[in-house]
Amino acid sequence: MEQQLEYLVDKVVAELQKKLSERARNGSAKALGAFDGSESPVHVVEEERGANVPNPKWQEGMQELLDSTPARIGVWRTGVRPLTRTMLQLRRDHAAAVDAVYGEVQQSLLDEFSLFTVETQYDNTENYLKRPDMGRILNEEGVRLLLERCQKKPQVQIVVSDGLSASAVDANLRDVLPALLDSLTSYGLSCGTPFFVRGGRVASMDHIGELLQPEVLVLLIGERPGLVTAHSMSAYMCYRPRKGMVESERTVISNIHRQGTSPIEAGAHIGTILSKMLEQKASGVKLVL
Amino acid sequence: MITKTTVLGQTYQFRDLKEIFAKANEDKSGDQLAGIAAEDSRERVAAKQVLADLTLADIRNHPLLPPEEDEVSRVIEAGINEKIYNEIKNWSVSELREYLLSHQAGESEIRRISRGLSSEMIAATTKLMSNLDLITAAAKIRNITHCNTAIGQQGVLASRVQPNHPSDSIQGIKAALYEGLSYGIGDAVIGVNPVIDTSDSVKDILLMTKEVINKWEIPTQNCVLAHVSTQMRAIRQGAPADLIFQSLAGSEAGNQAFGIDVALLDEADELMRKEGTSTGPNIWYFETGQGSELSSEAHFGIDQLTMEARCYGLARKYQPFIVNTVVGFIGPEYLYDSRQVIRAGLEDHFMGKLHGLPMGCDVCYTNHMKVDQNDMDNLGILLSAAGVNFVIGVAMADDVMLNYQSTSFHDIAAFREVLGLRPAPAFEKWLEKMGIMEHGKLTAIAGDPTIFM
Amino acid sequence: MDEQWIQSVGIDVGTSTTKMIVSRLRLGRMSSTFSLPRYQIVERQLLYASAVHPTPLIGADEIDAEGIGAILAAEYERAKISLSAIKSGAVIITGETASKKNAEQIVHLLAERSGDFVVATAGADLEGVLAGKGAGAQKRSLSIQGTVVNVDIGGGTANAAYFYRGKAIATVTFHVGGRLIRLDKRGMVQYVSPNIKSWLMAKKLQVQPGIQLTVEEIGEIAGEMVRDMLDYVTGRDRQESGLLVLGHQLRERIPVEELSVSGGVGQLMTDRPVHTMAQVSEYGDFGPMLGYVLQQERKKGTYLLRWIDPEQTVRATVIGAGMQSTKISGSTVHIKPELLPIRNIPILKLELTAEHLHDSSRLHSEVAAVYDMGQRLFERTTEIPFALSLSGIRYCSYQQLQRIADELTLPYRHQFADSPTMVVLCELDMAKALGQALELRCKGKPHIICIDQVRVEYGDYIDLGEPISGTIIPVVVKTLAFDEHTSIKGGTR
Repeated sequence: MEQQLEYLVDKVVAELQKKLSERARNGSAKALGAFDGSESPVHVVEEERGANVPNPKWQEGMQELLDSTPARIGVWRTGVRPLTRTMLQLRRDHAAAVDAVYGEVQQSLLDEFSLFTVETQYDNTENYLKRPDMGRILNEEGVRLLLERCQKKPQVQIVVSDGLSASAVDANLRDVLPALLDSLTSYGLSCGTPFFVRGGRVASMDHIGELLQPEVLVLLIGERPGLVTAHSMSAYMCYRPRKGMVESERTVISNIHRQGTSPIEAGAHIGTILSKMLEQKASGVKLVL
Repeated sequence: MITKTTVLGQTYQFRDLKEIFAKANEDKSGDQLAGIAAEDSRERVAAKQVLADLTLADIRNHPLLPPEEDEVSRVIEAGINEKIYNEIKNWSVSELREYLLSHQAGESEIRRISRGLSSEMIAATTKLMSNLDLITAAAKIRNITHCNTAIGQQGVLASRVQPNHPSDSIQGIKAALYEGLSYGIGDAVIGVNPVIDTSDSVKDILLMTKEVINKWEIPTQNCVLAHVSTQMRAIRQGAPADLIFQSLAGSEAGNQAFGIDVALLDEADELMRKEGTSTGPNIWYFETGQGSELSSEAHFGIDQLTMEARCYGLARKYQPFIVNTVVGFIGPEYLYDSRQVIRAGLEDHFMGKLHGLPMGCDVCYTNHMKVDQNDMDNLGILLSAAGVNFVIGVAMADDVMLNYQSTSFHDIAAFREVLGLRPAPAFEKWLEKMGIMEHGKLTAIAGDPTIFM
Repeated sequence: MDEQWIQSVGIDVGTSTTKMIVSRLRLGRMSSTFSLPRYQIVERQLLYASAVHPTPLIGADEIDAEGIGAILAAEYERAKISLSAIKSGAVIITGETASKKNAEQIVHLLAERSGDFVVATAGADLEGVLAGKGAGAQKRSLSIQGTVVNVDIGGGTANAAYFYRGKAIATVTFHVGGRLIRLDKRGMVQYVSPNIKSWLMAKKLQVQPGIQLTVEEIGEIAGEMVRDMLDYVTGRDRQESGLLVLGHQLRERIPVEELSVSGGVGQLMTDRPVHTMAQVSEYGDFGPMLGYVLQQERKKGTYLLRWIDPEQTVRATVIGAGMQSTKISGSTVHIKPELLPIRNIPILKLELTAEHLHDSSRLHSEVAAVYDMGQRLFERTTEIPFALSLSGIRYCSYQQLQRIADELTLPYRHQFADSPTMVVLCELDMAKALGQALELRCKGKPHIICIDQVRVEYGDYIDLGEPISGTIIPVVVKTLAFDEHTSIKGGTR
């Protein structure tokens, strides 16, 4: 009897707490949406994801389906077309993705990690999209800056680039980069001068490799944005990068963002991968992880 | 072979067939990236003019990629019916276009002459066609195929349900699958793109989709779109696969980049005939898309439309159940904006159909292209009017695994409703049995995925 | 590494019989090559199942350790498996046997003699769940998307485990088993387990050593027992039947769709008639009668549920123990191979909320409270006092990670200064980052083991095995109770 009472009390308390925290979450989401300050450059409005199906055959089952996938299901319809809210949600997410492509990384973030900026030959975003080859080569000024400011032949070279999503850098760099630096410390690896490449493609690693000749290089770069997230980042790693590297010589961790591969865990694991590359003197498919 | 012409007072002399082919294309960023596109509209029209007067024999006698150097060329050559070719070899490309569009060319006439055509001849005539030409000609051709069920009939618009999940969660895949089925989607195939290319993962997904098919007695077929060798391993371990999938490129080198060759496809074909679970006879699912050869530097200076046609030449050898051009997946460096994507979708569909293939289209785009969902609405309606065999159904068009947008379950229902098209006959009967569809219209319960729980 | 096999053993020393199995578990890569590595057990194969041996006893309440050792040695020999190849597994001493006086000693002897990392399980609740898995009830509940209960009835106890859509949701154990009442060929009662005396009294059933029973009387006793147990399981009545329950009672009535009965008595559920005393007393106890009356109940269909045949009967528990007890950790972890294996560590939970993550002082006081509880609950020891389980984190930023690492290490080094190793388990995939942050602070004092993707509850004990391929470790979570809600259960090792 006493046990039962205790159980009831616990249940009620747990239920209350859940409601309170939900309320707090909703409240703060609104606040974040309104306040678009530099504190949180990427405002994450977590919309309650509920089903619109009016009379599902199995209500509880509907929730189970929603919980199992981020896909836009249970959305219902008007005639054969989606509901207005669903349609606008899609348009909003598409807008965020397009913004990510055409956006710029915040200067304050780059300053926080003392990253100076170099550019590729990309020229402008339209050209960047049409001419991936031009995003693989630094422009003259970039080459000069690297040679002037960077330590040559470092053990590890860290490079950050906007790639196809500037907001991926904004959203994840604060978590990935320091976790990666800690990881280098714990493996006893030394790091050259990190910098930022504007308008970079993955293969810009090769050109940078030629210039600085690091033993290993890691490029943290924004991925092609999707609708689930426009803030996904990849880490491309390579042993002794140089011209003519093929894709299979690079090791990749992709899908780094809040809802995907945990940024801090990715940062920590990149250190492990780099230390294995140095050990095995190889990267990509030849690397045994 | 005449390679010279004058347009608006300016004379153009083209180097070779490759140059004529490339410059006769409608504007595509991929041809620009390859450095082979026409300089301006005038040069483009000059190339088209030259191309129009070339004969089919000219094209065959001056191979863009010689059979001695490339196995895809050999497959295309071997597929040509010499008797039929000889009847039409002196036709100009212009005559071929006019014949295909003429009233005397009905379905069976077109089917017959298509056996005498090489992929390059088909590409050539495509370059001379407007968007509406492509729709008009394609609409005449019905290529019906049969795996467990038949699709491709007149008046039928089938669909692949594509319930992908970012980490291959079986429950998550099932959830999106139920949603799709509840909208009447999935008559062409239940096809899942796995994240994890291991035979275990492929097997798990095949088992689950087969279980759902069996439990609800759904007249369709299952497929997991992993690399063909991974599917083969899974099938050898007893996984139930109705269809086997592979992406194709239009050159041997391009296929090498995909990790395949003709020998491997032959081996997979034989395995499926022995171990596949479907009725057949059509057991292949191929995907293609303009630009893939350029991205793997295996295009030999040939334009992306022609390389795409060559994929169909290779696909034809295996009499696939479905072929699908993933038209806007590859990115803006190949197809920059909606104009280019819509054009490419219509070209691919027509070329596939003329190859005798059961052509479908993944009407899609990525977020770094100058395209949005309205453009997909347009291309979807155009292709439905052109008689496309199937399109892709993704929940609200948003693929949460491949990170691109395609057509939604709602879109396919709308294409059907607007144009009076129906699901595949056996599937429609099943939808009626389930109470999802009545007289070709969705019922009140359609759109409720929990009816499958 | 795409896949790897590990061998696992299960040993079940029951009240009446002893058996072992050897299985192999395949770890398969479950992540793409572009993700952080993640592995899962993707296949479980039974390699070898021993014969069912009578459990060797010395006198009435002592297990013959040497006898069991000899049985196992012979079985390993026959299975052609070397001890060094066994990487995981579980020993179960079931039911009444566990209360025999040298059970503890046997468990350790077996654990040492049966491979590198074979753990002793503890508690009837886990056994019930393992038996339910071995009997196929878990799988079944998934396929019918409903609730299935399996009751594994052996010599001394019956373990019932409820599965709802693949998840164990409750367990209950009964004093129901073949060896509780022993008879000779004439029906003369030889022994009555003291555990059922209060129930017998409440039922006004006169059974004690020296009394001669008829077949009908035995049938009546067995019938009462079986019906009471089924009444309890289905929630129909829990008054007198509650007296049969060993350990905790169920709080709620759980609607059940299907029922299976495994164990030795499950095997005796056949249509073979049990009409003569010779048939009843075949094994010197009333087990055959229990099986018979269960079968009659199944036929009568009085209970509103479907009876299904279990996949395994007498071997359900051992198969569950050998094939289902092992889990594996996430593959990005922070470990030191030389510190493993670590056995039998109790769990202490640190449940964090968004407020803790944003406010250092709140985090500080929460950690202090949990550490204080750890000090109260577990004896002062020079060993590892507990494994700290972090849960409730939805997303962890680098800044928050630093805060957590700061708050965890300082007081730990102070309050548990003698502990050589700090063991941390995370639900979220963050073990490598957290382990690294902790290590940078502690520099070996203490050593850090931090693993993730393991779900544990208060009252669980955990065993961590030696790493496979250097990155993944086998984990056995020994759940002492499947309570309908989680409460803090103290207790010492």
